[in-house]
Amino acid sequence: MLGIDEASLALLDNLQRRYIEALDRRDMEAWLDCFSQDADASYFCIAAENVERGLEIALMYDDCRARLTDRVTFISKVWTGTFQPYRMRHFVQRIGTPILDHGKLSVVSNFSIATTPEGGSSSLLAVGQYEDSVVLDRGELRFLRKRAVYDTTVLPRYIVYPF
Amino acid sequence: MNAPIQWPKAVNEIPKAIFTDAALYEREIETIFHGAQWHALAHRAEIANPGDFKTMLLGRMPVIVANGEDGKIRVFFNSCTHRGNQVEMASCGNRKAFECPYHRWMFRTNGELAICPGSEEFSPGFDKKDYGLRELRTAEFCGLIFATASADTPALESWLGAVAGTLAGALGGDGRLKLLGYQKVRYASNWKAYSDNDGYHAPLLHVGFRLLGWQGGQGSQKPTPNGHLAFESQLKPVVNRDFLKDPSLIDLKATDPESGSLIAQLFPHTVITKHMDVINVRFATPISVDCTEVHYAYFSHADDSEELVRHRIRQSSNLLGPCGMVSMEDASIFNRIHIGSFTPGNAKFQKGVKRTDEVWFDVKQNDESGNLPKWNYYCQLMGFQRSEVA
Repeated sequence: MLGIDEASLALLDNLQRRYIEALDRRDMEAWLDCFSQDADASYFCIAAENVERGLEIALMYDDCRARLTDRVTFISKVWTGTFQPYRMRHFVQRIGTPILDHGKLSVVSNFSIATTPEGGSSSLLAVGQYEDSVVLDRGELRFLRKRAVYDTTVLPRYIVYPF
Repeated sequence: MNAPIQWPKAVNEIPKAIFTDAALYEREIETIFHGAQWHALAHRAEIANPGDFKTMLLGRMPVIVANGEDGKIRVFFNSCTHRGNQVEMASCGNRKAFECPYHRWMFRTNGELAICPGSEEFSPGFDKKDYGLRELRTAEFCGLIFATASADTPALESWLGAVAGTLAGALGGDGRLKLLGYQKVRYASNWKAYSDNDGYHAPLLHVGFRLLGWQGGQGSQKPTPNGHLAFESQLKPVVNRDFLKDPSLIDLKATDPESGSLIAQLFPHTVITKHMDVINVRFATPISVDCTEVHYAYFSHADDSEELVRHRIRQSSNLLGPCGMVSMEDASIFNRIHIGSFTPGNAKFQKGVKRTDEVWFDVKQNDESGNLPKWNYYCQLMGFQRSEVA
């Protein structure tokens, strides 16, 4: 049973850790596994500037599970060898109190992503907030919907991996 | 002091040093970006209502693109006519007037100076009428707003020349667009490398096309003598749709496959494209010799159904931007051209090159020689002398 108790918060934080570990390892299958099996499972990565103006264009717009799977295919299979590899370190901090409604936990977290190109020095890739909707799926917490809203109005480079 | 750049005799060669030379970059800002060219700064759909504005850079000069209370779009230098203070800080918004906070000079949305406190003690002969925001020459084509800082720039229609038809098509035919949103990014690349994409690379670089069995259709490529380039091509249906779990992303809902891909590349580096159901203007700004900022603005058409708008949003977001399915690779190439250009010698174009003594305009769809008229124009504009010997 999902609640807003210490045990559930620990599970929630564990999900966030699994998510950022997957991205830091650039393990796209592990990234996909952080999402629910629901056909409507979704991921959006969108500029705060667009959100504030009510504009819907995103950097990544994966509004169904099939789109999530296709993103993994492109990153893992199609783009191989065309982009300069870059390391990422994600830092995530839950803020506010999660809200439980009909078996769904809504939670907001701040994120920042440091990046290091091969042979280069480190810099900030993006900062922003995760707006997540989390459900119990196959005995674990997983994202039904995850929206990364980035403050970084102008991104410092082309992007391969989700935030 | 570096040796002066020597422009090669053969028209299919360009010196790599032009991508990395900081002094040349300064000359380009003056000659091209502050000079006699039109520069696309906004589409009317971004500032659709009276009082709407956006701020941009024209080369290095900050400008305000403002939709006046009278519904006329004007471009002003973003600098108070008093002491030169930046007038507007926001990247976009809606104002009844523009106020410079320093001495509270206030300008109407049509640029007129309305208020300047203490003017009874100003210099003899001071007249408010002489102190409106300084307006640039402005022209509009299918809603796309152009400005130029030079009085010598030819009229917009003659400047666009043969690219106008493709440009109109790419802007939805009549330019009645609605803004869907932006993707903004900086590339670690000189502006000329960013804008030198060619017709040769597409089927080779973009593995996604191959895996989807997405053959290019028949098409054409038309360069103009002043550095523009227009591509028009058919879109063939995807053979291997099963490669995607969600092939609906690449459906054509509002586009005739016969003219499915229209690209207008305007000198120096604005790209307007209508590919599949994506309507996209790429506003580019040179930031430094090794950095180019690009605002990808996406649009729907005013007559679109709600369902079609939804389709455009998901296709536009995922297809052609800085992490798009068939464009992320382009972005990585911009950076790699820049890094490779620090080595000596010339970059050499080959595909479709029929002769090397002069440029020609009859090029095929998948030739890279379509870029050569632009390079020839650039060479002349920047005052390079071609080498006498091969």
